Amino acid sequence: MSQTRQYELVYIVSPDASEQAVADLHTQVEQIVQRFNGTLDKTENWGRRKLAYEIGHAREGTYVIETITGTGELMKEIDRRLRVTDTIIRHLTVRVDDDLKVAERLRSERKATQARRRTARGLPPEPQASERRGDRDNDDQDDGVMGLEAEGQR
Amino acid sequence: MSPERGGGGGRGRGAKKDDKDKKGERPRGGFFRRRRVCKFCAEKIDYVNYKDVRLLSPFIPERGKIQPRRISGTCAKHQRALQVAIARARQLALIPYVTD
Repeated sequence: MSQTRQYELVYIVSPDASEQAVADLHTQVEQIVQRFNGTLDKTENWGRRKLAYEIGHAREGTYVIETITGTGELMKEIDRRLRVTDTIIRHLTVRVDDDLKVAERLRSERKATQARRRTARGLPPEPQASERRGDRDNDDQDDGVMGLEAEGQR
Repeated sequence: MSPERGGGGGRGRGAKKDDKDKKGERPRGGFFRRRRVCKFCAEKIDYVNYKDVRLLSPFIPERGKIQPRRISGTCAKHQRALQVAIARARQLALIPYVTD
């Protein structure tokens, strides 16, 4: 039995395809997922978006992102099906569970460190709403620069 | 521009003249504003999301190439993550491969 993992599937539907066609594709994916005993965790439709470069004469496309939990075989089948579907101009599958796990671990570690340091200083473990950011581990100069740069980018 | 720039940039300008013969001094010109800290470390971004164009776009100058670490100030770990994210975003036509 192969392991279940979390994947992110992004596909771009040709601009010629109707909204109905996009919905049909989604149900197709859903059916494959069900057939392989996977779960479709989340679907996001970005709608029509301009492409950064032309893909086979198409200048824009409809982006759909599906978060799927299932086996590698499931993703292989989806990949095969999307490859032969003409209305799909591009698709990409990314395995995300490891990356998200690492991100989650880093976040909790950081939180734990913060709580430990704060209790060592006799403060409540969680920062209060009244406290300003930057009084803890950053020097004031750094904050000034970051603030300015953030403004400049907007 | 800011008090910080006056301090850090001052050394940069001074070092610029003789950065060829002084290897120990970091040869950074005054053309780009210096970013001393990695954006991802400073903003505590653990996962570089390839779908977030607004996050990636500051690292892609007009030409479409990935900005080197020595200019953007990104740490090695996050530059690696950034590379992968940009590669994925390019495949999905969110970011151009080349612009000319």
